[in-house]
Amino acid sequence: MSSREDILQSIRRNTQIRYEKPDLAELEKEAITYPDKIGQFREIMVQMGGRAIVAEAGDDVNELIRKQYPEARRIASSLNTITCLGKEQKLTCATFHPDDVKKSGDLDGTDLAIVSGKVGVCENGAVWVEQDIEQRAVYFISEALVLVLDRKNLVNNMHEAYKRIDTGSYGYGVFISGPSKTADIEQALVMGAHGARDVTVLLV
Amino acid sequence: MSTKHSNNAGKFLQDKEMTKWHDQTLWMVRAKRDNMSRQLPEWERLRDMASAIKMYSNSHLDLLLQEFEKNALANGAQVYWAKDADEYCSIVYNILHAHGVKHFIKSKSMLAEECGLNEFLEEKGVEVVESDLGERILQLMHKRPSHIVMPAIHIKKEEIGELFVKEMGTEPGNNDQTYLTHAARKNLRRKFIEAEAAMTGANFAVASTGECVVCTNEGNADMGTSQPKLQITAFGMEKIVPDRESLGVFTRLLARSGTGQPVTTYTSHYRKPRHGGELHIIIVDNGRSKILADKEHVKTLNCLRCGACMNTCPVYRRSGGYSYTYFIPGPIGINLGMLKAPLHYFDNVSACSLCYSCQNVCPAKVDLADQIYRWRQKLDDLSVASSSKKLMSGGMKTLMEHPHLFNLALRNASVVNGMPKWLVYNGLNDWGKEHDMPQFAKESFNEMWKKNKVK
Amino acid sequence: MKVGLFIPCYINAVYPQVGVASYKLLKSLGVDVDYPLDQTCCGQPMANAGFETEATGLAKRFDRLFEQYDYVVGPSASCVVFVRDHYGNLLAKESHRCATEEKIYDICEFIHDVVKPTSLRASFPHKVSIQNSCHGVRLMHLSSPSELNVPYYNKLRDLLSLVDGIEVVEPERPDECCGFGGMFAVEEHAVSGQMGRDKVQRHIDTGAEYIVGADSSCLMHQNGIISREHLPIKTIHIVEILASGL
Repeated sequence: MSSREDILQSIRRNTQIRYEKPDLAELEKEAITYPDKIGQFREIMVQMGGRAIVAEAGDDVNELIRKQYPEARRIASSLNTITCLGKEQKLTCATFHPDDVKKSGDLDGTDLAIVSGKVGVCENGAVWVEQDIEQRAVYFISEALVLVLDRKNLVNNMHEAYKRIDTGSYGYGVFISGPSKTADIEQALVMGAHGARDVTVLLV
Repeated sequence: MSTKHSNNAGKFLQDKEMTKWHDQTLWMVRAKRDNMSRQLPEWERLRDMASAIKMYSNSHLDLLLQEFEKNALANGAQVYWAKDADEYCSIVYNILHAHGVKHFIKSKSMLAEECGLNEFLEEKGVEVVESDLGERILQLMHKRPSHIVMPAIHIKKEEIGELFVKEMGTEPGNNDQTYLTHAARKNLRRKFIEAEAAMTGANFAVASTGECVVCTNEGNADMGTSQPKLQITAFGMEKIVPDRESLGVFTRLLARSGTGQPVTTYTSHYRKPRHGGELHIIIVDNGRSKILADKEHVKTLNCLRCGACMNTCPVYRRSGGYSYTYFIPGPIGINLGMLKAPLHYFDNVSACSLCYSCQNVCPAKVDLADQIYRWRQKLDDLSVASSSKKLMSGGMKTLMEHPHLFNLALRNASVVNGMPKWLVYNGLNDWGKEHDMPQFAKESFNEMWKKNKVK
Repeated sequence: MKVGLFIPCYINAVYPQVGVASYKLLKSLGVDVDYPLDQTCCGQPMANAGFETEATGLAKRFDRLFEQYDYVVGPSASCVVFVRDHYGNLLAKESHRCATEEKIYDICEFIHDVVKPTSLRASFPHKVSIQNSCHGVRLMHLSSPSELNVPYYNKLRDLLSLVDGIEVVEPERPDECCGFGGMFAVEEHAVSGQMGRDKVQRHIDTGAEYIVGADSSCLMHQNGIISREHLPIKTIHIVEILASGL
């Protein structure tokens, strides 16, 4: 008999009471909400070690990004345009498309990646990124990350977020909340363990 | 009267400075957890729901695992079932062997620790690189984790500084945590890029989508799986959750409970293999299905491996992970060790004052202290109960079941007060090593009542 | 309403004044109190050490001794909650229906929840630091556990607030275990001793003159540490303060 069958049989033999699936409706209804979502999101991003900047009417997104990362030279993005407050703007500050590299390792040395976020979560600063390019490595290997997020896509909590996300045709997605971090040496918090050392969410 | 745990704890406590640091540092994590929980008015309901989902999923494993398998296959993944540690290790090795993998990068997995995967692979000539910073430090030191979430919590930065001089060519004497972390970043980046295969565990496996969810702060799981095109993901079968709605509950609890963060930096959802790549998923039993039959201990399968019970445990904080004989320490480790092999791991059952704090912090409401109490009741049947404790209990029983003996003892007890200290605090008296003896009253309450002195 | 006074073994032997204060306090509140003779031990020490069956005979004796009363009240949260949480199971194995598990109260709980006095004659012009004992907090719910997201309450503090001249504080880590744990204190004496020293120090750091608690066992453990280390603080059972004017 295969291990699969063995295991399934052992489970069936040993399972005692079968408990019902709980109804989460009550919890989801009473879960935390924020009257000022943008304010809360900005606050939580600072707590997570990053920042959120809110584009205002007339702002040039390229300038906003440049101002945040004046030193960045090698800038990856698959975005051609960014729609900011209803107006489409050309993204001109990127220097290459992440799928232009031959292999993922060639993305090492990327100073900045500009990536589109689908949903932002106010309770924890997490931004959902659904893979939309071959080389998802760029989300992690770049020294800094700008997540571009429509402010209308801010939700209160993870319950709301999970109703709105999917993994798309690539079958991969990730919530990213601030820069990569570790406290593995004597519990001292250090940014930039393996992933981006710096994360900015640009609310458009 | 002692156990391996109590002896090891005694040694740990000899380094007073380290003990104090260890206690305070982990207490700080507990305090961060408290702070997080208080920011959510719905916190206690979240815990109730997490527990209820786990009770549901662990009592429907047969159905949920098959649903998971069906969806994972439809996603293009390959699915394996491993009965035990050996089978799991062999499956991993066979995949690596078939692809000619020589460089293999791993993100942290308690399952791999449980099954001894690294040792198995290294014996067969596969270079395994741990990519979580704490795990990497320990791997280079040839040591085991002392905490399931903060594996290198017991190592001082000076030791790490010295290690990195040798292993990564850092400046001697520079033990700054930021400097050392970034040196490891640079060093491991090459390893990520060179690896031919990457492996992760899973915090959750979602039946309705066939995806595996991994939570990290460092981003090492994603760095690994976005470089080589061969990915292996393995999980103990109790990691199954029914659907994404459940993820909403667990991702809100996990990091808040474990490290006091609102969420981990990365919560990664792996559903399909990369284009031109392969995704191999291994479902592991290794004793879990047997636990289902054990009504008194089945709730251990609710565990999310967040580590909150360790951080709050007053004994763990003051004795360190290595004082336990099972590879998972603290309250959950005491229980999992007993489920694994009671005759090997009964020494850890003493490491509990029954304060019940662990039960209150557990996000999935594992009845940790109740279970430890129950294990204690079984030690005598396993013939591993402490003989002196048994003697004391038996003596007390006789005394207490006979009120005239008890009263006689009470009348004579105050005599002890007058005994010379060397007699009371001899080497056999473990109480006397830490405390002075209580002074018995000249007249017991019983005596006073009989003499009508209680008015 | 007839109350049977339960005096645990170590209070009987070491702290009889706590028994006396309990009796006086209940009397002064108009409670009809009786002390059934021949009490010994509830069996918790054996059970926590892993010899629950050794407690069965004691449970049966205890249950018979107290079954006639409307309430059983004792000055020890830990012993009381052992009866409440474990006697039912222990006695069921002997096909004996437990009569006391539902009517047993810790004395603080009883006064706070059943008697509900609005004033006491007590006066205690000292600063005291509350020993929130593990079983009192987490099993008997005498105060809100620090781990749970529930509103703050503390029945000990409520009762102490009726005492004249007293200043009540709680230590940092207000309900961390003091390390007693019955035979744990002997089997794991190194950890237990460290927990005790840490706990006493946190009480001292509040500037209190007394550690006050509802469990003599925690107080006995800390008292042993205080005496061994010659520390500048004393222990006192809460009923001794509440009965101080009697």
